[in-house]
Amino acid sequence: MISKNLTAASSKPIILGILKQGSSYGYLIIKKIKEMSGGEIEWSDGMLYPVLQRMVKEGTIRSKWIVDDAGNTRPRKYYEITELGKKELLEEKKQWMKVHSVLGLLWDIEPSV
Amino acid sequence: MFNLEESIKNWLTSFYRFNAFQHGSIEEMEQHLRDHIEDLIDDGLSEQEAFDKATKSFGSAESIAIDQHKSNKPIHNSHSAMYLNYLKIAVRSFSKHKSYATLNILGLTMGLIIVLLIGLFVSDELSFDQFHKKKDQLFRVVENQHYAGQPLFPVAVTPTALGPALESEYPEVLNFMRYTQNSYVFRQGENKITENGGIMADGSLFEMFSFELLDGDISSFSENLNGLVLNENLAEKYFPNGTPVGKEIELDGENYEVLAVAKNVHGNSHIEFDYVTNFEKYLQEDTSRASNWASNWLYTYVELDPQADLSNLNDKIIGLIKTNLSKSVSDIYLQPLLDVYLGEVDFTAEVSTKGEMMYVKIFTIVAIFILLISCINFMNLSTARSAKRAKEVGLRKTVGASRRELILQFLSESMIMAFFASILAVAIVIILLPVFNQITGKSFDLAYIFSLENGMRLVVVVVASALLTGLLSGIYPAFVLSNIQPLRTLNKYASGRRGEWLRKALVIFQFTISVILITGTWVVYSQFSFIQNVDLGYDKDHVIYMFVNDQRKVFAEEVRKISGVENVGLSNRHPGYVMSSTSAFDWPGKNPDESILMHFMGVDENYIPTMKLRINEGRNFLALDSTTVMINERAKELMGIKNPIGQTITAYGERKIVGVVDDFNFKSIHNKIEPIVIFKLDAPPRAYIKYDPRQEEKIQSEIEQVWNRMYPNQEFNPYFLDRDFNEMYEAEKRTGSLSTYFAILAIFVSCLGLYGLVAYAVEQRKKEIGIRKVMGASVSRLFLLLSTDFTRLVIFSLILALPIGWVVMDQWLDNFAYRINLSIWVFLSSGAVTIVLAIATVSYQTLKASYDNPVNSLRDD
Repeated sequence: MISKNLTAASSKPIILGILKQGSSYGYLIIKKIKEMSGGEIEWSDGMLYPVLQRMVKEGTIRSKWIVDDAGNTRPRKYYEITELGKKELLEEKKQWMKVHSVLGLLWDIEPSV
Repeated sequence: MFNLEESIKNWLTSFYRFNAFQHGSIEEMEQHLRDHIEDLIDDGLSEQEAFDKATKSFGSAESIAIDQHKSNKPIHNSHSAMYLNYLKIAVRSFSKHKSYATLNILGLTMGLIIVLLIGLFVSDELSFDQFHKKKDQLFRVVENQHYAGQPLFPVAVTPTALGPALESEYPEVLNFMRYTQNSYVFRQGENKITENGGIMADGSLFEMFSFELLDGDISSFSENLNGLVLNENLAEKYFPNGTPVGKEIELDGENYEVLAVAKNVHGNSHIEFDYVTNFEKYLQEDTSRASNWASNWLYTYVELDPQADLSNLNDKIIGLIKTNLSKSVSDIYLQPLLDVYLGEVDFTAEVSTKGEMMYVKIFTIVAIFILLISCINFMNLSTARSAKRAKEVGLRKTVGASRRELILQFLSESMIMAFFASILAVAIVIILLPVFNQITGKSFDLAYIFSLENGMRLVVVVVASALLTGLLSGIYPAFVLSNIQPLRTLNKYASGRRGEWLRKALVIFQFTISVILITGTWVVYSQFSFIQNVDLGYDKDHVIYMFVNDQRKVFAEEVRKISGVENVGLSNRHPGYVMSSTSAFDWPGKNPDESILMHFMGVDENYIPTMKLRINEGRNFLALDSTTVMINERAKELMGIKNPIGQTITAYGERKIVGVVDDFNFKSIHNKIEPIVIFKLDAPPRAYIKYDPRQEEKIQSEIEQVWNRMYPNQEFNPYFLDRDFNEMYEAEKRTGSLSTYFAILAIFVSCLGLYGLVAYAVEQRKKEIGIRKVMGASVSRLFLLLSTDFTRLVIFSLILALPIGWVVMDQWLDNFAYRINLSIWVFLSSGAVTIVLAIATVSYQTLKASYDNPVNSLRDD
């Protein structure tokens, strides 16, 4: 299980990473994180929303409500990554890779860059 | 039966409790939950199982609200935005409650004015002699003389031979300097002007002390017996055109060369001079002078090695005079230079520029008290208003303000007020400076205050006092206000009774201080007027005196002819300032082992009737007496002679006692009367002229005419005995007027606070008053109801203040040999004054409330 602190620190790059692949809404984002981490990254679902709002405020993502005309699905708030968000993601990536390579050297595993 | 929709609705309600969630975000979360439940049902769970699992995985509303609250905070510069917000709220709150804000700022301003003024005074007093670079190595040599049957006699002056002996015998002593006040007759063209501000000093004066030279070179001062240093004033006076350095000027008929010009030393040095002549010249006139151990007349200073051990050195030098003069009764010790000005020992022959540590201490305490009083006002008003602000606090707390933020907000309000008050106080202090200078005898000016160094200090003082005052007065209200429970504020009947006992205690405290200040002022004033009217044993009023250089008898005779002049007497001493004393007198029956100190002065046969000294036994001097003396009652008592008339006393030769005068004050009223022997002299140099006050101006101008006729080239320079006397008690007079102002301000600030509190209490009880009126209560009844509470507090303060004031003032009065007795009436009267003022303060508000039409107070809500 990933520790709480690490989860919190990684939430932003993970969300940006998911949105980079296409816009999405809260429930789907959580679902994807859970799938990808094999349930190792444990979020209480509600915690996602304050993070999303914070990111909207920072300008790295933006949101809009989409209501299906036919009324087949419920209204959903979709999030998409902004240009600033993309830049931020690159920066995050660099930093995480740096940490990764340092840890790799320390623990004698090949850096997988 | 499980109802999914109902459960979701309940679940959502838990989110609505928090207002951290913005519009739409709860809806978004609802959709999330529904998506999740749907998926779980698709996976085969029952509705209830799906709901339980989804909500559990979503987390509690509370923890999400906390996260949400954090993410709601502004991202950049959150602090400055917050402080800006505090400022905004403070300004709004001031403009909303103008009278309250005015009252508060006014009170704080008053307090700060006092603090600033006293700060100026105290820092100036403490700055004396600080400018000497070697101040920590410089010491004055002083004496303790021991006489049989008389109290310890501390003396500030020392013999001629002491300085050189200290330097040559003790390696710790690096240098020494002796000086004494001196006056010369300066010649300017045909005019002769007596300049009294001179000193005669060793050349080391300018090596050991850091007196600033503006022009010239001092290096040859020690060798040049006729060298002279002038201060700026005299340089300007005698050499108005260009530098005096290298020029000559005639002093007492001899030519002196001006070597240098020194900066005026006035106001921050206990050694003051208008000009300096060389002490070496005095020594060279008679070679025996340098080895004199017998007469104490010079101020001696030494410079010690920085490593020297003071107490060790004091032990070694204590008997130095006795070693060189077997009959001496003097022990010596070193007094640090910085102790001279504010020292607490009352030395005989002390320099005239002496401060009083007691006043520095008293004023500092007064400043602290007055500041406290005004801070207390602030606290009282703020906490009393807590009910009014409770709703605001409740609201803020509900929308998520933390206690820390609220404390910060209230503190910033009080700091802003204090800052505003500080600036106002500085402005008023600047306006008040001339008055303040007049009262304190100091000479602060704007240039001084705004000079670079002091200007910076001023900024520091203002900011510091604003912060301190803001903190002091704001911290308690901030804690009280921020502690308010939101739920209770929604209750309509929330009251401001919280902390009421503390407010009462604070009111008592401030009135206690005010009453002590009032009684103090009263006592100082009574003592001062007592001193002015005390029987000195001689008549100081309507006496002009002057120094006469030659033809003294003729001058006296001429002046006596002026109509309106009652008498003219000659003397060699000021009647209120006889410092010459010796233990060398002898008389029949004197115990040879005992040393008794006697003061002495010389007068002509007209002096005693002129000054109206009372003769208790024997007779006055006759014109032809030459080897006769008179003594005072105290001397008669100490000498132990029953019938002194006709006895012989050995004092500079054998002399017959012809009379005994009643005791008279030849020193300060602070001292008990000491023994004195009065010699008959033929024509001593001071002429005392007693005149009829109704013709004062005419007589003065006629005396001047006589003077100008007899001494055409000498300046006519008359002095007035009663003015001298007033100057001697200048310190008391200053304390008197300063404490009056302080007491007025203290009581004013206290009443200001009381006014605010009453206004508040009346406001709180408006409805009650309305109802009472409707029920038929009379105005006088209501007035009594509202006033009693506060009057009771003030009376309680009186009970506290009176004993404290009594003890403090009794101690102060003990400084005087002649003092008033404290009367209970002084205390009762100042108590009455306080009560009257307090009731007057309370009355306005209470009467207004009592007369108010009850409809006004009962109508709203």
